[in-house]
Amino acid sequence: MRFRASIANVSTFFKIIQSIEKLQKKCIIKFTETNMHVICNHDANEGGIQVWSQIKVESLFTGYRIQSNANNEITMAITSEALLAALKSASSSGASTYDTEEVIMKLAKKNAQAVLTFEINGLTRVGRRVRVSHDVKIEVLRPNDVARLNEPMCPEPDLHILLPPLQKLRTVVERLKLMSDILAVRANNNGCLRLSINTESVKVDTEWKDCANPKTQNGSENPEDAPDPNLLFTVVVHIRSFLKFLNSHVVSTTTIACICQHHCMILYVYIGDVADAGGVLTFYIPAIINDEM
Amino acid sequence: MRRHQLLQSQLSCGLQEAYNVPRISGRASTSSVHDVRYFATLLRGVNFVNRATITVTERGLTITVEEARTLLGTAFIFCDIFDEYAYHSPNPPVATSQGSEDADIVDNVAFEVPLNTLIECLNIFGTAGPASTTVSSSSKYKKWRKAGEDSDHDGDDEHGDRGRSVAGRGIDSYFTGGSEKRTSMRMTYAGEGHPLTLLLAEDATGPTTTCEITTFDPEPHLELDFDNSRMVLKIILKSSWLRDALSELDPSFDKLTFIGNPPQEPGASASRQKQKFREGSKPMLRIQAAGTFGSTEMDYPNDRDVLETFECTRSVRFSYRFAHISRTLRALQNSTKTSLRIDEEGLLSLQFLMPSPKPKGASGQSSDAFIDFRCLALDEEL
Repeated sequence: MRFRASIANVSTFFKIIQSIEKLQKKCIIKFTETNMHVICNHDANEGGIQVWSQIKVESLFTGYRIQSNANNEITMAITSEALLAALKSASSSGASTYDTEEVIMKLAKKNAQAVLTFEINGLTRVGRRVRVSHDVKIEVLRPNDVARLNEPMCPEPDLHILLPPLQKLRTVVERLKLMSDILAVRANNNGCLRLSINTESVKVDTEWKDCANPKTQNGSENPEDAPDPNLLFTVVVHIRSFLKFLNSHVVSTTTIACICQHHCMILYVYIGDVADAGGVLTFYIPAIINDEM
Repeated sequence: MRRHQLLQSQLSCGLQEAYNVPRISGRASTSSVHDVRYFATLLRGVNFVNRATITVTERGLTITVEEARTLLGTAFIFCDIFDEYAYHSPNPPVATSQGSEDADIVDNVAFEVPLNTLIECLNIFGTAGPASTTVSSSSKYKKWRKAGEDSDHDGDDEHGDRGRSVAGRGIDSYFTGGSEKRTSMRMTYAGEGHPLTLLLAEDATGPTTTCEITTFDPEPHLELDFDNSRMVLKIILKSSWLRDALSELDPSFDKLTFIGNPPQEPGASASRQKQKFREGSKPMLRIQAAGTFGSTEMDYPNDRDVLETFECTRSVRFSYRFAHISRTLRALQNSTKTSLRIDEEGLLSLQFLMPSPKPKGASGQSSDAFIDFRCLALDEEL
């Protein structure tokens, strides 16, 4: 099993991990020959939120080499906080005392413990070379366990809608969180998105108009069963789960929400430009069955 | 109570027509405010208990909050802070048929709302926050002010230059950065049993929010009337002088005492300046705080620049729970002037003038809102 890559785009990698770090302590990262998949699928997650993401290798790494007996794939469980710390020291932010020149990520074994080593080569302000090395403990998953990782089953979504900037959504949802635990997300095919809470003391509806409804890719759309574009589809979710998804505002450019009425909400957070499709983080938020909303 | 008969009154303060938001109700004319920050600041000033009574009259709103049957906070918000304001009295005939004992009660509608919720709703887009006001004031009160640095400049206030300095502060506090977004609001109340409805928007293209806040029948409040004929101490001073004193105090103090003594030669105001060095034993105004870990005393000098008005008929000494007095800090921090009065039984009245962000000249005369706190004294015998 061999794995080695140079991280070309440290800040994007950092932001991806940052946006999922709050979700669960350990995440699963699966490296294949072409993609990196970051998976959070812990059953114990509050509200059952899951993340399945797919990022193209070339949008983050250069000199990417991978070899294994399992179809040249390596799947590991890693502590997201530790990974974030390593990436933080690799990203040359204003606070660090050196400029990063190169970051090598590789699989290694130290004292019979599998680790992911991050070797950071930098240059200080006065021109001295620095080498910082982080070993992040990992647990390599066996192929049988990997085979058991499955994306949640979802029906065909009722609706696709482009979300407004996540930062804006987050401001609103943070206020709503103080007033309610659950949030109703409604949208229609006419560009309207509505976030609502309904408690004993207050009812709040925030409405965005003019959101775009992207065309679904599978072009087999039957014009005869096209529903009323003004029909609202509703999904009720835990407000905290929704906020966890909104943590991805750091990395998002475009976000598409899909509503499977009374079943779940699927959110595609595009990393980089949609056209060049550098990668996508997919959040699944299951619905709460609640008659009142 | 009379209030309960008033059914269909309607209050609305709404978005500017430019935003082209549909009216909530066709029945009433609308009123509007294009920036809710001032309104939100006033509400925050009395936000120490969640349940607040809002009383609506022709002239404006009052928001009343009560704690422990001891402390009563009231924000008086006049209708001219809203861009539009309409109040439709539900039953004008009743008002005239009432006996003369009701003559001084202004025709009104009252209801209770959860105040926290109202404030959160106003700030739904994060642009009604206290940020700009507290930044300017908190950066000031952290450091001691040197004589002649800021106070001299502000001392001009009392020489009829008030308009200019209020406008200056107003612009600083509420309009920092012209590009900053503001939340505009339309508020409607259709009468007993109806929710308080808010319509909020940031700009014409952005999202709109509708809030329906459940209202409750008002509970009778503590009646703490301040009788000016029984007043023993009256002080008017710049709020910063009181703010600096009170914000120095540690929260572990549990008792705050106001001590006032008549100026020693009340008639001869010219000789006051010289006297202040000799009156160490009998301070004109002393604030004393005591708690488990110690006590502290602060004396105010007999100086016109500090105490703009000082009237004291006899030696006064009354104590209050510090926790109650510290409830007033948020209002105090955003105010420009403070009036502190105490009557013979120790009832404390603190009134804070809240500078309005509207320039004085623009809309004729605009009255600044104020927040009034009444607090009962501790019984010293206990």
